[in-house]
Amino acid sequence: MKGKKILSLGLTLCMGMSLVACGSSAETTTEGAKTETTTAVETTATETASAETTESGVPSYSEITVGEDYTDLTASIKWMHHKTDREEDGTIAKYIEEFNKVYPNITVQTEGITDYAQTALLRIPTGDWGDIMFIPAVDKDELSTYFMPFDTLEAMDKEINFANAWEYDGLSYGVPYMGNAQGVVYNKAVFEAAGVTELPKTPEEFIAALQAIKDYDSSIIPLYTNYAAGWTMGAWDAYIGIVTEGDNTYFNQKFVHTADPFSDRGDGAGIYNLFKILYDAVALGLTEEDYTTTDWEGCKGMINNGQIGCMVLGSWAYQQMVDAGEHGEDIGYMPFPISVNGVQYANAGADYSYGINVNSSDENKIASLVFVKWMTEESGWCAFEGGYTVDKDGENPELYAAFDSCELLIDEPALSGEETFLNDMNAESELGFNAGGNTKVQAIIEAADQGASFDDIMADWTARWNQAQESLGIEVNN
Amino acid sequence: MGKIHKWLRSRQGQQAVVIITFSIIPLLLLFVFTYFPFAEMFKFSFYDMKYVGERKFVGLKNYITVFQRDDCFRALWLSLYYMGGAVIQLALALYLATVFCFGIKGGDFFKGCMFFPYLINGIAIGFIFKFFYTRGFVLDTVLGWLGFDLENLPYWLKDTSINNVSLVATSVWKYFGQNMVLFIGAMMSVDSSLYEAAQLDGANKWQQFRYIMLPSIKTIVMLNLIMSITGSLSAFEPPYVIMSGGGNGTATYFVKMHEIAHTNQKVGLASAMAIVLLLIIFVVTILQKLFFAYVFKDAEDEDKNAGKKREKQLAKAMKKQKAREGRA
Repeated sequence: MKGKKILSLGLTLCMGMSLVACGSSAETTTEGAKTETTTAVETTATETASAETTESGVPSYSEITVGEDYTDLTASIKWMHHKTDREEDGTIAKYIEEFNKVYPNITVQTEGITDYAQTALLRIPTGDWGDIMFIPAVDKDELSTYFMPFDTLEAMDKEINFANAWEYDGLSYGVPYMGNAQGVVYNKAVFEAAGVTELPKTPEEFIAALQAIKDYDSSIIPLYTNYAAGWTMGAWDAYIGIVTEGDNTYFNQKFVHTADPFSDRGDGAGIYNLFKILYDAVALGLTEEDYTTTDWEGCKGMINNGQIGCMVLGSWAYQQMVDAGEHGEDIGYMPFPISVNGVQYANAGADYSYGINVNSSDENKIASLVFVKWMTEESGWCAFEGGYTVDKDGENPELYAAFDSCELLIDEPALSGEETFLNDMNAESELGFNAGGNTKVQAIIEAADQGASFDDIMADWTARWNQAQESLGIEVNN
Repeated sequence: MGKIHKWLRSRQGQQAVVIITFSIIPLLLLFVFTYFPFAEMFKFSFYDMKYVGERKFVGLKNYITVFQRDDCFRALWLSLYYMGGAVIQLALALYLATVFCFGIKGGDFFKGCMFFPYLINGIAIGFIFKFFYTRGFVLDTVLGWLGFDLENLPYWLKDTSINNVSLVATSVWKYFGQNMVLFIGAMMSVDSSLYEAAQLDGANKWQQFRYIMLPSIKTIVMLNLIMSITGSLSAFEPPYVIMSGGGNGTATYFVKMHEIAHTNQKVGLASAMAIVLLLIIFVVTILQKLFFAYVFKDAEDEDKNAGKKREKQLAKAMKKQKAREGRA
């Protein structure tokens, strides 16, 4: 009797414990993620200043000639990537097959991972990820802990674009598989039919072009804002800096120190004129009738069949618009219509970059180097994806034809010691530039539609910016 | 040792063991997942902090900011729309519940139809109504059949004079069925002989409702009203989903709080906002209780102290009588 009681008590407790365990296990995962980041920071602190130069047995990226060196090398390497769609449709297998025609003894295994950004960060510290991976969001001062430098930044700059994407201490740790450029996706047929033969280079020309489209056929929406999707509004922030100022140190370095970044300088450039384009387009009725019910999935087909003139989106969107209907050949991509002192600038950025495991054997490192260089120079993958060429000598796909006339720049990282400034300013001012600040851009559309003043919005931004600078104690230069 | 053992085997001891073993798990869960996070949030409200990184104690600064920012309290005014909606919703639910209660053909089918929206996920409802309100889509088409001209119809979500009403309508649509079912449940529990008696005395349907049904279900009415008002103070899904994050002047207090906490990473300020809202909800609930205590006063069968009063009166009367008798 007593034994039974104790047993039942024990059982109850057991069940209780397992319940509690169930409940708290969810917590542990988030906790785990937290500790993960903290340990990562700790490693940074104790980071050794190794990997100053490349190791003796392994050549550098620029020393290898693809197709000539190491063709008889035998090795088996593993590559972890996020392109599960290309894994499934056999594109990656096809490239590896091509690669093996030149390098028959190098076996390449692949592992495609969905939810890559998080999984990769968790796998990195274990070291169990093979020889090549696409570098996830690790801190730059940690790069040498996990990855082998390809070469010095100087040497890499001669070989590839975006060499500074994963640069630390003068060494380059990553080679992007493709680049992206920021411009405007548009329907060539619509622009032509409306009589816009030359692509607009300034805000006035752009608004005039939109007006021409409206005059040509009022059923076409000249500029589709995608207000309702939210993030598509925040996408306007991507043009701040290089496009608006013609300066690749502006966004990450100077912006936070500027006293009045949102004032109208009267030169047709600057952040003021970037958002003025949006305001004017809405105020003049050159956007969709009801912005609150825009439809992101629907807009792809609409621009494809000529119901939309253009949309302000990064070049990654180009392929989706092409694939969305039967008139893919009508879709074009143009630089953003702002000129700084007569020069049109465009910003480009690296997509995911290949990184090579610093702890792999020398043979595997060499094989990985050869593979990465072959993928970059010979595979044609970058062009296939519609990316901006990574190989310095590579041809750009047709969509970047309009970018030939403009100056292409890549954002410089923040100055050391100031890495957190932009994030802090974004949070404190609640403007969130390039950091989810969608509502502030939506507010511009609302103001334009309801007849509120644009200058008031800019004045409000300036006030919030200055207040944030003051409360964070960030030095302001005039 | 023996004493404890003996106590454990006693009736009292057994009771204690059972109570502790059965309640420790729910209490533990309640503490871990409700009270502890709440205490943490209360602590956060005194700090200037992001999710990661340093935390700085700032005292009451966050609370002062909540009261100084005009966007926080302007957002609370929007709750008035939702409160208005809540009143309409309860009236509608009460009316329909009464109709169903007095019997109607196909009642169960209609009940099912009206309760159904409550079962749909709030996000899905958001998407349904996004298309429902789109220019030239469902609502405009239906109104077109009724003879309205599209030109004269407003943009349901764009026009700031009407978009909050549109959003409130979605939440009324979702919740009135649930309120109605609760009311029907309560009404069913009223003894039907009371109605018969009232009918014999010549009471009409309205009088039956006013004097029998309503007093009998007042607890449920009050509960529903308190829940709806609390719900309207914390409205989130309609503006967040339909208006993509509360654009166009539809950002309620919750949407604002979400934006401050997650987009702007001002965790301390958002926590302070949450505490302020909690206090507001307390105040509103207490006010409602007082209001109802007043409204339903005459509906009470009897004052709780009535018995005592009567005895007192009786005693007084007796005394008087005795005194009179004495005099006599």
